[in-house]
Amino acid sequence: MNSGIDLEMSFTQGIQNLGLSHELAHLLWIPLPMLLVLVSAVIGVLVTVWLERKISAAAQQRIGPEYAGGLGILQPMADGLKLLVKEDIIPAKADSVLFTVGPILVLVPVILSWLIVPFGQNLLISNVGIGIFLWIALSSIQPIGLLMSGYSSNNKYSLLGGLRAAAQSISYEIPLALAVLAIVMMSNSLSTVDIVEQQNTAGFLSWNIWRQPVGFIIFWICALAECERLPFDLPEAEEELVAGYQTEYAGMKFALFYLAGYINLVLSALLVSVLYLGGWGFPISIDWFSSLIGLSIDNPLVQIIAASLGIVMTILKAYLLVFLAILLRWTTPRVRIDQLLDLGWKFLLPISLVNLLITASLKLAFPMTFGG
Amino acid sequence: MLGFLEKVSNYTKEAISAAQYLVDGLGVTFDHMRRRPVTVQYPYEKLIPSERYRGRIHYEFDKCIACEVCVRVCPINLPVVDWVMNKETKKKELRNYSIDFGACIFCGNCVEYCPTNCLSMTEEYELAAFDRHSLNYDNVALGRLPTSVTSDPSVRPLKELAYLPGGIMDPHELPANQKRAGKLPNQIIKELQAEKSQEEDKKNSSDMVSNKLNSTN
Repeated sequence: MNSGIDLEMSFTQGIQNLGLSHELAHLLWIPLPMLLVLVSAVIGVLVTVWLERKISAAAQQRIGPEYAGGLGILQPMADGLKLLVKEDIIPAKADSVLFTVGPILVLVPVILSWLIVPFGQNLLISNVGIGIFLWIALSSIQPIGLLMSGYSSNNKYSLLGGLRAAAQSISYEIPLALAVLAIVMMSNSLSTVDIVEQQNTAGFLSWNIWRQPVGFIIFWICALAECERLPFDLPEAEEELVAGYQTEYAGMKFALFYLAGYINLVLSALLVSVLYLGGWGFPISIDWFSSLIGLSIDNPLVQIIAASLGIVMTILKAYLLVFLAILLRWTTPRVRIDQLLDLGWKFLLPISLVNLLITASLKLAFPMTFGG
Repeated sequence: MLGFLEKVSNYTKEAISAAQYLVDGLGVTFDHMRRRPVTVQYPYEKLIPSERYRGRIHYEFDKCIACEVCVRVCPINLPVVDWVMNKETKKKELRNYSIDFGACIFCGNCVEYCPTNCLSMTEEYELAAFDRHSLNYDNVALGRLPTSVTSDPSVRPLKELAYLPGGIMDPHELPANQKRAGKLPNQIIKELQAEKSQEEDKKNSSDMVSNKLNSTN
């Protein structure tokens, strides 16, 4: 397998060539990917918000935002600007410390999870060996933040929303983790890069979705529940709970929740594409394609094209899933809290357990196709 | 054991049918995406109100005889008719007339019962004001005619759904001079009258024929 473009290596080498030490070069490199993640996450959110508004409008035969920029493309920016300059209100009887910490605790783990999203062989912030485990661990911090902000708002709707969010996150974390476990078992690694590489041997035929169709559906349902997207948006069900745990929030603190929700959606879509749809892999194997043209895979031109194609493919797959999530939002009615917990504990959990068992036995029976 | 298996198979069937319904629903929402928006972009485009639209009331001061019928038929006695008796001519002399559109429910009783037709309905519906007292229209304000949607050059008039030709749902791309679906009320009346006269003719002719037959006998 080729290593692809390694930006960090070339950057540190370039700095070292200028006469600086290796440690200094590394120090200079560190903030760059962080900045890149923040910028790309925020841009991803802006695009998603715009898409959500436009697609929602189209599904309802409306026009949607139109005047802010061409086709309303600047509308999310205007929304963000509005929230930025809005007065920050802390209710008189709220716990001001927890009230402030809550939204931060919701947003930070979501942004941290972007560490493990690969856009190419070496196009990720850090290839930690426990990548996918790290993501699951980080995503369990979120309900604490939600509960915190719901409880500290000193409002019955906020409290109910916070409790619902916590219950929902906890009950959907388990089938999610089990679905991921089946994938991990097949690829013998927790690292996202290994998982994608293992899927890119024969184009789209080797994607995990063919070997884990049930796992794919379980993961997608659980991801929607974790993002509090519409079939599962009970924590902020506006008809019953005003806005759930966000009720008392305004200005930038509300924007943090808003941002966290959409970053989480994009992140979930990216992870589905990484775990099940071959990540940066092109539907046709690049190795095979370059040999067809007669160019070596190590050719710099091929490398650059493959890298940019990888980024485009990852984003394309993720945004197709985001589109599906938005369409699902206008298709499915909201489930009740008892239906939600029923679905989580009585349907998804047993099925994901069976899925895991079957994967394990298939792995023993056919080590070639299911990863020995 | 068999009962358990039956339960499992029923459960699976239910889950599969639920998934099928979900996919059907997704198909519906996906199909809606290619339809044209039905939005009427309000300040720039406006629907033409129907001919019997009950909008702001128009009032002609000179026609009014201060009979106060409008006040009596109004559900809340809203119109204020300010008149004095002129003792020399022994006639009512109208001084002021006003209707408060903040309280009016636009039922149209006053228009219907006005003996001199000095009250009439307009198609004006944009009555927003910053102060509710400015909704109390006096006879001068009541006498103003609204600008029609069709004559306003800054507005693109659009036909309402009932005025579109058959099968067309969207007023935006309507070719000019298209007639609405169905017949106009006066056309229907004309046809009904024609039918009636025809039937009568038939009756008459058949009577005549039977008379003739009778006479030959």
